[in-house]
Amino acid sequence: MRNPVAIFGMVVIGFFLVIVVLAPFIAPYSPTEQNLRATYVPPGVGVALGGPEGQLGIWVHPVTRSPTAGLRVDDSVAYPVRLFVRGSEWTWFFGLVKSDLRLFGVDGPVRFYLLGTDEQGRDLLSRLVHGAWISLFIGLISIAIGIGVGVPAGAISGFLGGSTDMIVQRVIDTLLAFPGILLAIVLVATFGTGLTNVMIAVGVASVPIYARLVRGSVLQVKNREYVEAAAALGRNRLSTLARHVIPNVMAPIIVQSSLQMATAILFAAGLGFLGLGARPPQPEWGLMLARGREYLAVAPHVATFPGIAIVMVVLGFNLLGDALRDALDPRM
Amino acid sequence: MLQYTLRRILVAVPSVLGVMIIVFAMVRLAPGDPAQNLAGEFADAETIELIRERFGLNEPTHVQFYRFVTGVLQGDLGTSTRTYRPVTTDLATFFPNTLELALGAITIALLFGIPSGILAALRPNSAFDLSVMIGALIGVSMPVFWFGLLAILIFSVQLGWFPVAGRGTLMHLVLPAITLGLSSMAIIARMTRSSMLEVLNQDFIRTARAKGLFDRGVVMKHALRNALVPVVTVIGLQFGALLAGAVITETVFSWPGIGRLLVDSIRARDYPVVQGAVLLIAVSFIVVNLVVDLVYGFIDPRIRYD
Repeated sequence: MRNPVAIFGMVVIGFFLVIVVLAPFIAPYSPTEQNLRATYVPPGVGVALGGPEGQLGIWVHPVTRSPTAGLRVDDSVAYPVRLFVRGSEWTWFFGLVKSDLRLFGVDGPVRFYLLGTDEQGRDLLSRLVHGAWISLFIGLISIAIGIGVGVPAGAISGFLGGSTDMIVQRVIDTLLAFPGILLAIVLVATFGTGLTNVMIAVGVASVPIYARLVRGSVLQVKNREYVEAAAALGRNRLSTLARHVIPNVMAPIIVQSSLQMATAILFAAGLGFLGLGARPPQPEWGLMLARGREYLAVAPHVATFPGIAIVMVVLGFNLLGDALRDALDPRM
Repeated sequence: MLQYTLRRILVAVPSVLGVMIIVFAMVRLAPGDPAQNLAGEFADAETIELIRERFGLNEPTHVQFYRFVTGVLQGDLGTSTRTYRPVTTDLATFFPNTLELALGAITIALLFGIPSGILAALRPNSAFDLSVMIGALIGVSMPVFWFGLLAILIFSVQLGWFPVAGRGTLMHLVLPAITLGLSSMAIIARMTRSSMLEVLNQDFIRTARAKGLFDRGVVMKHALRNALVPVVTVIGLQFGALLAGAVITETVFSWPGIGRLLVDSIRARDYPVVQGAVLLIAVSFIVVNLVVDLVYGFIDPRIRYD
């Protein structure tokens, strides 16, 4: 694991996890709070490096959008941006943690939009940060469904062989006939849109991939001496499978799970973009991008930052998956 | 070869049947009354009853499925609840556009993917190899819709080189095809590279080199032919992925293809069209993979006896 690319991947994932855990502390504002007097503020507008009397630091001027005159920056006043400020109160982890401490904020009656605002004047940074857990959850739930259903199906299919294998393989073939994101689209079209259904759909779409992977590995392992030894000792077949075969096919499952995280995040964002996933005002990254698309020419930053966030997280998991494969499976 | 062909076709049949079962089940598993779903949101009670009667929705499931399958085999996929056109007409209008887009994408993916994979394999761990591999990783990590939006923003809005959206001239095809082909390009480049590396380390290449064949001759004559065999499979799989990926690309570029038809129909709960579009994409994918399997058996006879 001394591969610099892998380390970069892990740093990105670590950063992502920190954001998920500390979201309301890192985000300066609420992800859904609108400010219709400050819509589509591009990043950097009204922000000055240095105060009115030459002080160091970042200072913010009030910015308003008027329907007729466009964006106006009021240069007559400026307020400093400070670290660890008291802002509006937030709760996290289902109400277990409560505080009003924020990583940074403005000392004064204006707002500091680090990444600008969207079409409803919501702070883009706050939305991105609060949307991180959605991506993480989608990935984790998708893996849980994929492993929970796909691994037993593939293992039993490969280990028992015969007609069980035949039937399971035909089902998997059928599911694999829906390429890429199509299976998830089919499920969402059937059972309805929304975040929960997207998580389930993306998870089910990963089942055939796990099943096929595990079946292949089980077929390689099942005739090894230690499996025969377990059978000779009188163990029944399912317990042999669970205790001697599955642990030996863990490596490809781990690699696949890292890559699956990446795929799941991309699929969910894609469904969000198509309007089949999360619903407004959820700060899901794909949905944010879809909204940004409508204002692409006037406010390109609205679509740009969610895209960067998706690319970074997906790249992180892809890099980690690749590195794990190199480390765990020297044949590749 | 004939036996192999027949066997492959027979293996594809259960998949097609399975796809039909899933597509058939879509309407019936959807929340709400299937007749209402098929009739559309604003249908009155009389229409719903008519639909129920016409689609035989009050008959036993196996009878319904038999009718569905015979309907599909006779080219009858029902009528759109939005436009009241036969679904097959809609599919026939939009599918060629998707094929055009997918063919453009696969052309671009092959044109750039295979040469960069080969060149990367010839100089492993060089700066070129490294940049191809990093580029490929970014390529598979990039959401299609975001890349498409950036492309529109830069090349259409800012530079004005290409039209913003729609289908028509060859210029209309460039950005959507690159956008759709990007991840396939990345996957094909990676596959070509690793397959090429594997072949270059084999004995017959060393023999060819030992015979004094100059490097390019070795690469072109002996290595490439062998290295491209697994790449063919990936191309088949990618073509299917392109058909599905077209759903998003077509939405970004307002391309009048089957993917956009599918998304619009899902939003409008126009189930007959959704069923038809899904069926068409999945069956095309099965057919493409069948063809790839056959080509594979043709170029690598060992496969046939597997």
